[in-house]
Amino acid sequence: MLLVLSEEHKEHLAFLPKVDTAVAAEFGRIAVEFLKKGTSPKIYEGAARKLNFPVETVQHGVEGLMFLLTESAKLMISEVDFQDSVLVLGFSEELNQVLLQLYLQHCSQIRSILSLLPPHPPAYCNLEWRLDVLLASRSLRQQVVPMVTMKLLLSTGGGNHSVRVVQTDPATLQHLITTLEAALASMKTNHARRILRNIK
Amino acid sequence: MTFGIPLESLQSTGRRFRFCGDLDCPDWVLAEISTLAKISSVKMKLLCAQVLRDLLGEGIDYDKVAKLTADAKFESGDIKASVAVLSFIFCSAAKHDVDSESLSSELQQLGLPKEHTMGLCKSYEDKHSALQDKLRETSLRLGRLESVSWRVDYTLGSSELREVNEPTVQLKLQAQGAESCSTETTVVSISADKFRVLLTELKQAQAMMNALQ
Repeated sequence: MLLVLSEEHKEHLAFLPKVDTAVAAEFGRIAVEFLKKGTSPKIYEGAARKLNFPVETVQHGVEGLMFLLTESAKLMISEVDFQDSVLVLGFSEELNQVLLQLYLQHCSQIRSILSLLPPHPPAYCNLEWRLDVLLASRSLRQQVVPMVTMKLLLSTGGGNHSVRVVQTDPATLQHLITTLEAALASMKTNHARRILRNIK
Repeated sequence: MTFGIPLESLQSTGRRFRFCGDLDCPDWVLAEISTLAKISSVKMKLLCAQVLRDLLGEGIDYDKVAKLTADAKFESGDIKASVAVLSFIFCSAAKHDVDSESLSSELQQLGLPKEHTMGLCKSYEDKHSALQDKLRETSLRLGRLESVSWRVDYTLGSSELREVNEPTVQLKLQAQGAESCSTETTVVSISADKFRVLLTELKQAQAMMNALQ
């Protein structure tokens, strides 16, 4: 499947053939770093000064590269399709190869970064528990009531954590364990296995 | 050449280990035990000392650890794995209150050489109760009370009544929130009668706690 680049995108990328291929490759490396760690405007200013280009042009060029890489990785386009899509820009063969190598080397990394973007429901992170026995309270002495207190640590996306404290008696805990074991066992049914086999 | 690791233990054992809480030994522990066997037994004892310092909250000196494992040419992954497996062994053995002889025999069954096992178990024995105290301290506690401060006031009068003449206690409790990790402050003011009731009830609870110790 071919990537269709908008006119604006093509304009931004038109900056690349104006510099040496080596410099373009460097911009490619910067684009990937930015995708991994976030942008840093100082780099745009430094590069613009050295190359004698307006800062905006450099910024658009790098952003154009970043978008090209994320769109290609998102659609997981093949080598041939990537080359055909880039052909439209009319770059030199050397530059096309540089872009292709950049894409191929970093495709899976970019995909794993992109997979972090959609919202996630809170996910299990950690569980602490304690087993107590209630012996007496203000209203009633001489009791024996076992209870399990659990502190569930959940991670909502972006490194945030939320905490839930729950308390239960051993019978409910046993029921909880049985239900969860049944859920785990359902992964081993023929139906589940057939589906998993068909997902590559 | 099996480097002293019995062939049986290289397969999934299905055997129960006391230091793993009467469960199977995790595969990664089995794998990293053979990594541990690569350093000398003297260095192993020093590594155990560093790991125990970390578990007891005294901090670990990673530079020292790197030096200890340099001879065996450990990569950073190996260093982390060794620290992790030693932490697991110490914590798990302390958690299940395993004595040092059983630990020694179980670790040798898993293929840790005799000299290394002896070093490890000696360190374990020395720090066994300190480790259990630390684990007890870090056990789940909700809303831990951090401090109490009080003062007694005497109300002379108010906008409702010209002469009130009553003592009150102001109590400030600082506790760790049950669900949040930050300190929560509660301030209450208590009349003399209510305070007497509170004090009596708390003394009864204290008597019950003392009877249990």
